[in-house]
Amino acid sequence: FKVPDEISLLVIVVDVNPIWWGQQAQREQEFTLSKCLDAVMVMGNSHMAMSRTNKLAVIASHCQDSHFLYPSKSWKAGDDGADDASSSGDGKYELLSVANNLIAEEIRNVMSKTEVRGNSTDTLLAGTLAKALCLGQEIKSRILVIKAAEDCALQYMNFMNVIFAAQKQNILIDACVLDSNSGLLQQACDITGGLYLKIPQQVALAQYLLWVFLPDSEQRSQLVLPPPAHVDYRAACFCHRNLIEIGYVCSVCLSIFCNFSPICTTCETAFKIQLPQMVKPKKKKLKQTT
Amino acid sequence: MMKLRVQLQCKNLHEYLRELSPEILDRLYNHPATCLAVYRELPSLAKNYVMRMLFLDQPLPQAAVALWVKKDSQKDHDECVSVLGGLRLWHSQQLQGGLQGYILNPVFKDNLRTALLGGGTAWAEEGSTLGPDRHARDIESLDRYAMERWEVILQFMVGSPSAVSQDLAHLLVQAGLMKSEAGEAPYITSAGFQFLLLDTASQLWYFTLQYLKTAQSRGMDLQDYSVEGMSESLLTFLQHLREFGLVFQRKRKSRRYYPTRLAITLAAGVTTKAGFIVVETNYRIYAYTNSELQIALVALFSEMLYRFPNVVVAQLTRESVQQAIANGITAQQIIHFLRTRAHPVMLAQTPVLPSTITDQIRLWELERDRLQFTEGVLYNQFLSQADFEVLRDRAQGLDCLVWQDVAHRVMVVTPQGHSEVKRFWKRQRSHT
Repeated sequence: FKVPDEISLLVIVVDVNPIWWGQQAQREQEFTLSKCLDAVMVMGNSHMAMSRTNKLAVIASHCQDSHFLYPSKSWKAGDDGADDASSSGDGKYELLSVANNLIAEEIRNVMSKTEVRGNSTDTLLAGTLAKALCLGQEIKSRILVIKAAEDCALQYMNFMNVIFAAQKQNILIDACVLDSNSGLLQQACDITGGLYLKIPQQVALAQYLLWVFLPDSEQRSQLVLPPPAHVDYRAACFCHRNLIEIGYVCSVCLSIFCNFSPICTTCETAFKIQLPQMVKPKKKKLKQTT
Repeated sequence: MMKLRVQLQCKNLHEYLRELSPEILDRLYNHPATCLAVYRELPSLAKNYVMRMLFLDQPLPQAAVALWVKKDSQKDHDECVSVLGGLRLWHSQQLQGGLQGYILNPVFKDNLRTALLGGGTAWAEEGSTLGPDRHARDIESLDRYAMERWEVILQFMVGSPSAVSQDLAHLLVQAGLMKSEAGEAPYITSAGFQFLLLDTASQLWYFTLQYLKTAQSRGMDLQDYSVEGMSESLLTFLQHLREFGLVFQRKRKSRRYYPTRLAITLAAGVTTKAGFIVVETNYRIYAYTNSELQIALVALFSEMLYRFPNVVVAQLTRESVQQAIANGITAQQIIHFLRTRAHPVMLAQTPVLPSTITDQIRLWELERDRLQFTEGVLYNQFLSQADFEVLRDRAQGLDCLVWQDVAHRVMVVTPQGHSEVKRFWKRQRSHT
């Protein structure tokens, strides 16, 4: 007899940074944001097709904020609002139709209405991940991040907090990187036990998603998957957010600084350290030769 | 004459499908809905295999597929290969280098792709033109409806008065769950008892599979969802489904219908009713329910002591359990019944049911099993030891020797093997 399946949630976080995608459209016309979202929808559909109790959420991570592409209403209220949603009138499983239509509509809203203000051109990934974590509270869940733009060093602290929170809740973070490698995501995958992959061919995104990221943690134990990448574990200093190898650590709160300061900015402990005195080189009397 | 006990075979979807001929299977796979249902029943590793191959048009080398799993999971890989092959979801095809490859069944592949991505014809052809339903039912009331209908059927089997259509009664008889003597109302068989004690999902499967079998014999075809364009046989099928609680149709004449959760459960087999039975080590059973059906089920194998508005107290006794066993229920089924309906308080302890109770139920069953009957043909009065030994070895070689007594030169052979052994013996005698 079958054991009742438990609910398994997959949260797909898509980096929709308009600046990166705008540049991308000029670099590589075969792989645009629409194509990327198509692949994401195939992945989402496949996940939901796997089991009746699988659930999906898709969040778009923009420059200033993040938006839920699916589900658009609170999903805890019964089944995923299939009352008035339009079915596509074709052979697609109705639940998937509804989901795909919602996602398509929402992403159009997001991209047309969200403004990019001022200097903040980096994707707000940490905030999005925090939202994703809030979803997977009582149920088994995992997060898949589709990363486009580069890392933003300013988010280092928040990111690390999110990673450790995910680790505590046993939530895997997987990363599928489209362009440049992301040290933060490598750390996230390493710490939470997820998979990190920088895909060699962007156009084949759907195939990579299905082969590598579709199996859940139990199924992964049986399959041969890409090995973990070398992780850059350098910390970022709290004052400048630069990655440093050697620095100063506050003995009370363990904050990391690149330069010595007498008061720790995080916990405000005062330090009295005697720095080694700089020894002035003795001036040698030069013997003058004639 | 002791009747041999019939063990209820609760086959699952896969076993049923394996028995179908390839042409019928391909016809079944011509619908996205079926493909999705079959896909969901696969073991999870096989699901991944299918997904990986779903968007490929070329066959994959078998050696490459074998490398998909880690070394420890080689057995799981073999199981997948056998399941996917048995269901004809993929087959071998030779590649261009002479190597053997796997490729997905094209009918299955196309239709599963349609279910996932769209395209193709709608599952409900009229869905879009009907507009929103004025009497749209929400999930909960559909659930309740389904459970009510299902309970009506089960109550009919237990013998409580309930209204069930002729067709349904006939189906129950054909499924072997009930028997009807000429002119009398049907009564339950031992297979029916076993059926009652199963959990709802298994009951559904068994019932549906039986129905499909009879449908095939009646020449009806399966599938589809919308009412228009349905032939007479399909409409009858729909009415039957309605009665089983699998489908809700507001009136016989409404044009649309909703698969209830019971039908959806067929694809997943999840029952979420909370447990309500507490079993104590003094053989007392406390069932916190006032559903007539549940009480009747508990009464099948225990002695009712007291009844209150919300609880029923019963006692497991030797007589009651052996009575149930005489009716064809096995100890394992009783234990399974108690375990699946165990109260959350019971679920907190391990083992869920006290081991004294489970052991005792099994012992009571064994008490009746001291004798085991096997049919056979007796060979005796051999003239010499050598004759006996020759024939005995032959029977052993044919694997039909049931019992032998060397000292008295007596042996028993199965009825199936009897003709062969007899022929051999006659040949033997004509030679010597």
